[in-house]
Amino acid sequence: MSEPSVVVGTIGSDAHVVGITLLEHALKEAGFDVRNLGAQTPKEAFVEAAAETDASAVLVSSLYGHAEQDCDGLHEGLAETDVDPMTYIGGNLAVGQSEFETVRRQFREMGFDGVFDADVEFEEVVATLRAELGMDERSTRLTRARS
Amino acid sequence: MVEDTRLTDAELEQLDQTVWESAPVESASFEEAVAFHENLPEHKRFADVLESADRVLTQPRAGVPRLDDQINLLQTLTGEGDADLLPTTIDSYTRDNAYEKAQAGLGQSRETGENELNGFPAVNHGVDGCRRLIEAVDAPVQVRHGTPDARLLAAVTLAGGFQSFEGGPITYNLPYTSKYELVETIEYWQYVDRLSGAYTERGVPINREPFGPLTGTLVPPSVAIAICIIEGLLAATQGVRSVTLGYGQVGNLVQDVAAIRAMEQLGTEYLPEEVTVTTVFHQWMGGFPRDEARASGVIALGAATAAVVEPDKIITKSPQEARGVPTAAANAAGLRTTSQVLQMLSEQSVELEGVDREQELIERSVRSLLDAVFDAGDGDIARGTVEAFEQGLLDVPFPPSEAADGDVLPARDDDGRVRLLKFGNLAVDSEVKQIHDARLETRAATENRRPSFRMVADDVSAISDGRLVGRPGDD
Repeated sequence: MSEPSVVVGTIGSDAHVVGITLLEHALKEAGFDVRNLGAQTPKEAFVEAAAETDASAVLVSSLYGHAEQDCDGLHEGLAETDVDPMTYIGGNLAVGQSEFETVRRQFREMGFDGVFDADVEFEEVVATLRAELGMDERSTRLTRARS
Repeated sequence: MVEDTRLTDAELEQLDQTVWESAPVESASFEEAVAFHENLPEHKRFADVLESADRVLTQPRAGVPRLDDQINLLQTLTGEGDADLLPTTIDSYTRDNAYEKAQAGLGQSRETGENELNGFPAVNHGVDGCRRLIEAVDAPVQVRHGTPDARLLAAVTLAGGFQSFEGGPITYNLPYTSKYELVETIEYWQYVDRLSGAYTERGVPINREPFGPLTGTLVPPSVAIAICIIEGLLAATQGVRSVTLGYGQVGNLVQDVAAIRAMEQLGTEYLPEEVTVTTVFHQWMGGFPRDEARASGVIALGAATAAVVEPDKIITKSPQEARGVPTAAANAAGLRTTSQVLQMLSEQSVELEGVDREQELIERSVRSLLDAVFDAGDGDIARGTVEAFEQGLLDVPFPPSEAADGDVLPARDDDGRVRLLKFGNLAVDSEVKQIHDARLETRAATENRRPSFRMVADDVSAISDGRLVGRPGDD
């Protein structure tokens, strides 16, 4: 079976790419097939890439506080395609000092399956994805077979 | 295809017209602008003040939307921070050429009394607004921004009395945007440099400063220096005669001292004789500790480094760096911390072991990068730059822009010097690569893990977490 495909990128006019670049490495190392859309990616490009790669998950990064506006319509766009990826968002999602729980709820309501804050460890993101996509059972067997 | 040749007077005139046509404000005559510059007192002449200084000059970053507030802010920075050189930091909308949005933000700021923009919208203030600013403050002022297409900004601010203009076609493209090809920004900046050259020829030297810190995240010194030299060469072709090469602190004393020395050495060597080359050292441009006391520690290390290697100027940070735009008082505090350390170390002569070897390594890498650029362009540095980035021979880590491959991955070695974990197609020789590899293996052994992106991830947040090298299990 081929590796699950995931799409990552920084949405909107945001030019922060350090996090997304490192996440790309982390996901590749964990056995994902990664399409990194880089900085300043419009939501349409996420939808397009998800459809093209038959993505199992779409991970959106935003660090400049305008995630809500930038993601408006993302899930509607995905719904019009043949793919149904899990969607995640992480970063500094609101301008100012909102409680993270409030922010999480808000983005869950927008349709995201998971919401991470800016301090999340790569391991946690990888573990979440592996669990959600049922990769751990497969890989445990593989590791045992190898050892 | 873009070429490194000087724009003719006719081309400059035509570009001038095009640039001003798009302006939301009135144009100014060149003659009148030259006259304004000529009437400025000596202590406001940027290049003269910088080039004749006998100590490290300090300069903060600062920009607020309203003119009166900007004047007050700059007066606070000279009054309470003893800033030697002043900045005017431009807002993000202007950097994006979105002058209508900038105008709206300026209007809102005037109504609410709050800062609704993250900088000074110089284009919207127009030539007259800029001149009022220059007249009201007591030191030379530089435009600091991050604008890939800075043609109109340059036309307005240089006519408005500013005598130094930061940025360049590579350093204000790759770190800031994904929108522009290098071919485009090189052309835009040929205009900026030619305009600066035109003032220079009339006896008003405009200082130009490539933005050395680039993406601000673990940029290897050799890459930063090579790129600044390229921008210096491009500027010199257009008649610029005052160039300040820039470099951002990495935090390892030996590597930082070696880098500044290498930059001075190679800058003088590569740039034409008629260009006066100076250097600027930026205090740490990556993530800062939120704790202001710790942030002052980062600032002090930058100041100490500058005191040892004596660049011509140092760009200071404030203890509120982690929180965004600082208050005027915090900004002045960063300046005072810096000048305290600079002065305490100014009479001391400090010898650091290992600087020469590190400097040699940096110089060797810079030379090989520049050789590759010249080769790729058949001797033309502009074409070579485009080609070299396309082939990944020249590259920067973490570029938001597709104009660079971003295949290089940096990490700190065991004593915190920035090395490359992945070179992509970067034009450095195999011996240099082996040195980097070996240094990273040493760190890997100390940490009992393989060299990998995990080191990079730990390094990116290490200084804000209280140390230089990101070791495993630190959190």
